[in-house]
Amino acid sequence: MDLVIALALNGLVWGLIIALIALGLSIIFGLLDIINLAHGDFFMVGTVLTWFVLEATGNYWLAFLIVPLLGFLLGALVERSVIQPIRGMAALSIVATFGLSIIIQEVVRAGYGAAPKRILPPIEGTIPLFGIEYDYYRIFAAAVSVIAIFVFFAFLHRTKLGTWMRAVRFDRDTALAMGVPARTVYMVTFALGFSMAALGGAVAAPITTVDFQTGVDVLPFCFMAVIIGGLGNLPGTVAAAVLLAVTEGVVTSFTDPTVARIVSLCLMSAVLIARPHGLFTGATR
Amino acid sequence: MKARIDRTVLLAVVALLIVAPWILQAVEHEFWLDILAEVLIWSLFAASVNVLFGYAGLLSFGQALFFGMGMFGVAIGIAKLGLGFWPALGLGMAVAVGTAAITGALAVRLTWHYFAIITVVFSLIFYFIALSAKPLTGGDDGTSFVMPAMLEAGEFELSLTDQTVQYFFILAVVAAAYFVKFLIVRSPFGMALMAVRENDVRASLIGLNVYFLRWSAFVIAGAFAGLAGCLFAMFGRYASATYMFYHVSGEGVVWTIIGGAGTLFGPVVGTALLIVVREELSNMWEHYPILVGIVVILTVIFAPKGLMGFWNALLDRLSQRPADRAAGEAPPQEEDAAAAPVPREGRP
Repeated sequence: MDLVIALALNGLVWGLIIALIALGLSIIFGLLDIINLAHGDFFMVGTVLTWFVLEATGNYWLAFLIVPLLGFLLGALVERSVIQPIRGMAALSIVATFGLSIIIQEVVRAGYGAAPKRILPPIEGTIPLFGIEYDYYRIFAAAVSVIAIFVFFAFLHRTKLGTWMRAVRFDRDTALAMGVPARTVYMVTFALGFSMAALGGAVAAPITTVDFQTGVDVLPFCFMAVIIGGLGNLPGTVAAAVLLAVTEGVVTSFTDPTVARIVSLCLMSAVLIARPHGLFTGATR
Repeated sequence: MKARIDRTVLLAVVALLIVAPWILQAVEHEFWLDILAEVLIWSLFAASVNVLFGYAGLLSFGQALFFGMGMFGVAIGIAKLGLGFWPALGLGMAVAVGTAAITGALAVRLTWHYFAIITVVFSLIFYFIALSAKPLTGGDDGTSFVMPAMLEAGEFELSLTDQTVQYFFILAVVAAAYFVKFLIVRSPFGMALMAVRENDVRASLIGLNVYFLRWSAFVIAGAFAGLAGCLFAMFGRYASATYMFYHVSGEGVVWTIIGGAGTLFGPVVGTALLIVVREELSNMWEHYPILVGIVVILTVIFAPKGLMGFWNALLDRLSQRPADRAAGEAPPQEEDAAAAPVPREGRP
C-alpha cells in the first residue's frame, strides 16, 4: 500500500510538471498551428541550463529565475528564424521542428556532453505524508508547477497580451482586423511555450537525470496530455496530464513501467479514435 | 525534352548501379558497396513515407513500426522458428502487412495532425511491447541470426553472405518495388489517391471511397516499409526494437521531404544524399547532425517540394516552354512518374 501511495504521489508531482510543459505545447499548437516535435527538447534545454547555472553560481534558486528567461529568449529566437517562415503549413511544421529537435540535441551533446548527470535537490529531507515519508523537494516541485500554471492562466486572462493571445486563437482574422499585432503575439506565444518547458526542466532536473535525450521520453507524454485534454483546451491539458501520470504511477506499482506506458498509450489511442477532440470537450474554452 | 533528359539520367543511374560492384572493386572502395545497399534499403523505407504523404496526403510518423515488424519477422523466423530464407522473408512481409492492415483500419479514420500523432502512438505501443517481450524479441539487445542460404542446388549455393550477391539481391528487390510504386502511381488507383490528397470532400462526392483508398495506401506503405525492414534485417543479420522508435520514422519523413514528396524518385535522392553526407561527415565532425537539422529546416522553408521539385523546375526552365512551366508548378506532379534522380555516386 505504501508503494502505491508513493508512486501515486510521484505520479501527481510528475503530472503537474508535465502539465506545465504540455501547456506550452498546447498554446503553441492552438495559436500557431505548429506541431512542435522539439518541445521535449525545450524541456531538456531547461534541465541542462539549470545544470550550467548551478555550475556557474552554485545557487539553485537563481536557476528558477534565469532558466525561464533564457528559455523565453531562445524561444523568441527560434520563432523568428524557424517558425515564422513556415507558419500555416502544419505538415511542414512537423518536419521543421523535427529538424530543430535534431539540432538542439546535437548542440547540447556537443556543449554539455553525452553522459547523463544528476543534480542534487536544493532542499533535502522528507516529511510524513499519508503515512509515508515523502521527499520535501518533490512537494516543492509540485508547488512551483502549480504556482506557474496559475500565473500563466492569470497572465492569459488578466493582461493585455494574454487577451490578445486568446483573441488570436478565438478568431484570427477578426483579431487582426482589430489591430492585434499578430507577429508579436505569435513570437510571445512561442517564446512563452519554450519558457514554460524550460521552467519545467528546471523544476524536474533534480528528479530526473540531466541528459541530452530526456526530451525524447517527455515528448510523447506531453502529446498524450494535450490530446486527451483536447487540442488547445488548456485546463483539459492540465487535468489530463495529472490523470495520466497518476494512472501510470498506480499501474507501475502493480507491474513494470514499460507495461504502464503501454497501458497509457493504448488509453490515448482509444481517446484519439473515439473522441478526437479530447475527453473534456465543452468543459472550458 | 524534359522527359528525354529524365529518361537518360534514370538509365545512366541504373547502369551505374549495376556496374557499381566492379567499379568499386577496381578503385578498392568495396566498403561503399554496403553503403550503396543501405541507401537502397532506406530509400525503400522513404518510399513508404512517400506513398502516404506524397500521394495520399497523410503524414505518418509511424512507418518504423512496419519496418521493425519486417525486421522481427525475418529475425524471429530464422533464429527462433528455424525458417529458411524465403519463408522468413514471407513471414516478415506477412507480419508487417498484417499489422498495417489492422492499425491502418483505426488510423485512417483520422487525418492531419491526429493521423500523424496516432501513427506515433501506435509505433510507440509496439516499440514498448517489443522492448518488454524479451524472450521473443531480445528486448534492448535485439535478435541476431545466422543467414541461411538463398538458393541451394547440390554444390551450388547462393547466399547473401557474398557481398556482391547481397548487393544485387537488394538492388533487384528495391528496383522491383520502385517499379510497382510506379505502376501504382500511374494506375487509376493512384489517380484516385491524389484526388483524395487534393480534396477529400470532392473525391468522396464523385464517388470515391475515401476511407478505403486511404486504408489501401496505408497497407501498401506498410508493405514497402516491411519489405525494407526485411531487407535491412537480412543485411545486418539482426533485428532490434530501436528501429521501431519514432525517430526512425522521422528520418524517413526527412529523407522524403528533402528529396521531394510526391515524386517517384524523391525518396531515393533524399536518402542517398543524407546517407552519403552522414558517411562522409561523421568521420570528420562528430556533431554533423546539426548540419542535417539545418538542411532540413532550410529545405522546408525554401524548397518545400524538395530536390526533385528543384530539378523539375530547373528542367522546365531549360526547356523554355511556358506551358511546361505552368504544368510543373501545379501541385500534382504526375509527370514525375518518369522523372529520374540526380546521379548519386558522389565518388567513384
